[in-house]
Amino acid sequence: MMEEEEPSGRVPKRPLWSGAVTIGLVNVPVKLYVMTFDKAFSFRFLHKQDGQPLKYQRVCVKDNRVVPWEDTTRGYEVRKNQFIMFDTKELDAARPQSSQKIRIDKFVDYFSIDPIYFEKSYILTPDKSSEAYSLLLTALQKTQKAGVGRITLRTKEYPILLHAYKDALVMTTLRYANEISDPTKFEELKQLKEPERKEVDLAIKIVKDLSGDFDITEYKDAYAERIRQLIAKKLKGETIVAEKPVKPEAKELMLALQETLKQLKK
Amino acid sequence: MDKLTKVEFTNLDKILYPDVKLTKEKVIEHYIRMAPRMLEILKNRPTVLTRFPDGINKEGFYEKDMPLGTPSWVKTFREYSETARREINYIVCNDLDTLIWLANLAALEIHMTLSQIDAFDKPDLLAFDLDPQPPAGTDDAVHVALMLKEKLDELGLTPYVKTSGKRGLHILVPIVREYTFAQTREYVHEIARALAQESPIVVSEFSRSKKPGTVYVDYAQNSHGKTMVCPYSLRATSQATVSTPLHWSEVKKGLKPEKLTLSTVAKSKSNPWKGMLEERHRLEESVG
Repeated sequence: MMEEEEPSGRVPKRPLWSGAVTIGLVNVPVKLYVMTFDKAFSFRFLHKQDGQPLKYQRVCVKDNRVVPWEDTTRGYEVRKNQFIMFDTKELDAARPQSSQKIRIDKFVDYFSIDPIYFEKSYILTPDKSSEAYSLLLTALQKTQKAGVGRITLRTKEYPILLHAYKDALVMTTLRYANEISDPTKFEELKQLKEPERKEVDLAIKIVKDLSGDFDITEYKDAYAERIRQLIAKKLKGETIVAEKPVKPEAKELMLALQETLKQLKK
Repeated sequence: MDKLTKVEFTNLDKILYPDVKLTKEKVIEHYIRMAPRMLEILKNRPTVLTRFPDGINKEGFYEKDMPLGTPSWVKTFREYSETARREINYIVCNDLDTLIWLANLAALEIHMTLSQIDAFDKPDLLAFDLDPQPPAGTDDAVHVALMLKEKLDELGLTPYVKTSGKRGLHILVPIVREYTFAQTREYVHEIARALAQESPIVVSEFSRSKKPGTVYVDYAQNSHGKTMVCPYSLRATSQATVSTPLHWSEVKKGLKPEKLTLSTVAKSKSNPWKGMLEERHRLEESVG
């Protein structure tokens, strides 16, 4: 699929989730939309010889037979090739209940949070009435604060940040602490040399000289651009149309099939 | 081109019968060509398969339960199996696609039950399995088969005969679905006993079934859930023999079941078992 140039225009058709932001006893009904999109090109694997798409199958390592979804279950690898087997029902029972709430526990200074924790952002829009929404948005804008809380999306609970972005409430899911490497664990970072005063002055000067306003549109994906051009070129030429091939060696079978089908219809 | 079958063929070039160099493609073609004659009989009967994915010289396996990856369009019949002590989902081969799918699984031998799923406890076939013990051979089985036919004719029943694909002969009689397996088993056993009284080469009791030079009339297959190789099923024999339905006129001295193979059976267009299940008989009280 060809993607359009500008990354801004896309509005998802359906909300991903709807519920309410709850702060103490206050409820702000909202709908949640996906906000970030992966714009990278995706290619499908094809068979070199005939250009047909390849499909993935789950194959049993023991007998190489293809296993349908309904015959699969989950296993936790305790040791190499040793598994504890789980029933899907057992796992389901352990999962958090999806709730219709974004629970805010407290408010923090938005700029005090390192983006390292940010995972994925979602736009919130008002559901039913917009008064409470507008009030919460204004309060966050005026205080430059962000709410910290949690949400259960599908089957996973996430810590989240609720903040203002361009006149909208945005929820960003956060990584848990144990999902992030701790820099103090790196040996090389433990023995950093103290820089000379003069060097520091020079470095600060360079930083100041190169200072400006942040503008993400100054950055383009050059690889994606080149691929887009290649696709445009190839579209003018020949493309391989996916079709169901009949293997030449199966011709006899097809003939037999046609004859038998005729007989069976009688 | 329209899609002729739901089945995706795999490993068509794989040799399943090394001695006669027959590939899986030939096996599938056999089942496609025999389908109209087979499906008439196989319909609504649970099947048991003997599969040889690596050819008959490698170990095969017996498969009662539907295999992993059975497509959703394949009809199955669920029944608690006393021997397996669990529920078994039998494959029911009611259409061409299922038959082709089985062939593609290298299910060389297809065995069927003697009752249909809508009245699984009520057999609709009597089965006589004539099993000659060397040095007795097919000629002896033929001799007993003709005796048996005479007896069944007298009883007003219509017997149908096929080769087992090995040395023996199978004789089936379609009956109304009003009897239990215990009744049909006893009925078949009684006829076998009557034959044994008339001829010294007939054995009607399991305890003597291995006696050399005799023909054992096996009645035990008339049991709930037991299966018999189905008509036109291939056998896992070196020559790729076929369990072949015959006209009674073909049942005579010199019959060579080993000549009825994948390569020769397809040439015959006649169907000796045509309409077999359309006329079913009641069993008379006395075998005489």
